[in-house]
Amino acid sequence: MMLSQSMKKNKTGRIREKSPLLDLILYLVMALAILACVLPFLYIIAMSLSSSNAILNNRVSIWPIGLNLESYQQIFAYPNFFRAYRNTLTYTFFGTLISLTLMILFAYPLSKPRLKGQKLVMKLVVFSMFFSGGLIPNFLLISSLRLTGTVYGMIIPFAINQFNLIILINFFKSLPEELEEAARIDGLGYFGILLRILLPLSTAAIATIGLYTAVFFWNDWFYGLIYLDSSLYPVMLLLRNIVNGTTMVGEAGGVGEKASVAIAVKSAVIITSTLPIILLYPFLQKYFVKGMLVGAVKG
Amino acid sequence: MQNTRDLAGPGKARPSGLRRSFAIHWELYLMMLLPLAHLIVFKYLPMFGNILAFRRFKPLTGPYGVSWVGLRYFNQFMGMADFWRAFSNTLTLSVTNLVINFPIPIIFALMINELRHLRFKKFVQTVSYMPRFISTVVVISILTELLSPSSGALNRLLRSITGRLPVYYMNEQQYFRPLYIITDMWQYTGWSAIIYLAAITGVNSDLYEAARIDGANRFQQILFVTLPSIMPTIMVMFILKVGHLMSLGFEKVLLMYTPSNSMVSDIIDTYVYRMGFQSSANQYSYATAIGLFSGIIGLILVTSSNLLSRRLTGESIY
Repeated sequence: MMLSQSMKKNKTGRIREKSPLLDLILYLVMALAILACVLPFLYIIAMSLSSSNAILNNRVSIWPIGLNLESYQQIFAYPNFFRAYRNTLTYTFFGTLISLTLMILFAYPLSKPRLKGQKLVMKLVVFSMFFSGGLIPNFLLISSLRLTGTVYGMIIPFAINQFNLIILINFFKSLPEELEEAARIDGLGYFGILLRILLPLSTAAIATIGLYTAVFFWNDWFYGLIYLDSSLYPVMLLLRNIVNGTTMVGEAGGVGEKASVAIAVKSAVIITSTLPIILLYPFLQKYFVKGMLVGAVKG
Repeated sequence: MQNTRDLAGPGKARPSGLRRSFAIHWELYLMMLLPLAHLIVFKYLPMFGNILAFRRFKPLTGPYGVSWVGLRYFNQFMGMADFWRAFSNTLTLSVTNLVINFPIPIIFALMINELRHLRFKKFVQTVSYMPRFISTVVVISILTELLSPSSGALNRLLRSITGRLPVYYMNEQQYFRPLYIITDMWQYTGWSAIIYLAAITGVNSDLYEAARIDGANRFQQILFVTLPSIMPTIMVMFILKVGHLMSLGFEKVLLMYTPSNSMVSDIIDTYVYRMGFQSSANQYSYATAIGLFSGIIGLILVTSSNLLSRRLTGESIY
């Protein structure tokens, strides 16, 4: 909150006089930064769309040569790819839903510093950010709860993220108390206040942590690796297995002509698995940044 | 009305017991029930599960082991050359990474702040934050393709310029640390710059005005106005980073790990992973002991750096 106010003030505040040398350096560095972010993707897109002949002869740079969709046809004809994609969609959708529900229910009581016991629970939350069970105890717990090899094992253990929770708590704290008082007088209980008054006011904050959560579930591969059987693998784990050669797709994984098909196919998997994030990112970017700033203001 | 007074209202909370609080605010406690249970089960039970480090594990008998063995596993790993290699690899990689990748977002933020076209500035920011949201698997997959000895862009480029033979960068150990650091730079420079940009926008513009009147050019303004003004933020961020020296991007290291670069790429987290999941006998207790050891060092680093931050700058995060 504080930060965004001061941001406006400064917009008109300072005069940046022309300084040709400095400006030249600035724009050069910025152009390089933009290229560094964009070029790798262009290269992979070009690879995924080029003919195997062009790849084999090393003619592809950032523009597709011998444009064709063969690699995409190959991965779409590959049943494991669809299954992995569907798995990822399931984990992301239900993971985000459950995660948001639990975190909203947790954040509201924790945003009341005068509630008895709030401080203790808050301490428990914060301590668990800095000390954890570690890899093996976590794994043994999940497997003794019989969550390994199930969809739940990919969703439930990760429902509460302490950083996101604190973002939400801070947001609830920043809402004016008078709102709640008025609602109390009208006879609403805490559940009613949360549902009808606070949630409609918190869409931006919830969108922010919802996005972080969704990105987490979308990008996860490691827990899939240690908790799941291959039929439940998310798409990121499939990608990792294709790239390191554990899994072969179609004709992929040979020499010469076949090796260049493999490159095109790998590239197509990279692109299809990242596309949702790249496509949504420009529209949702402001929510991402908001969360970073709210979270950075002390909790 | 009375209830509101207690929590939401501006009035002072009256002395009341937990039981009274339960009676009045039962709805809030009810709300917490499920998430709190989640916190205890999924965060605190594994924490408690660390006692496995002092106990012998037997399959199918639950996560807490069957009999006490004292410090046997600690003594065991303390005597292993592999462990000490992983320990020093962890510190080397994270310290090098800190030295290189700590200043870069600051410089980047200072440069973004000097851009005079608002729209271009926004565009640069948007593009540079994006890598933070790309999966590490994708980042390493792209890297693997770019560096591939047969078809990778870098090898092709170098061959066409210098005629040198292709190098298998992902497999050779001298390239592991540079590649880890460069990908970190790619992933997080823009994102980490946000916090400094926010601090920069808080700088009082009168300071620039005064500096200008004193004849400072823009470069001097950056050096003598902007940079000193965001020094407290830089200090806090630095101390926090030091607190997290034990935690590297484990998933990324695991993705980049190959037997041929293991001399430098085996860090504590991957060592724990290998001992727990990839060794023939699933040495759970042994791996837990190492994880606990590293977790405690991490905890000490975080708490002491936070304390230091509070002393020095009056700011702390926790």
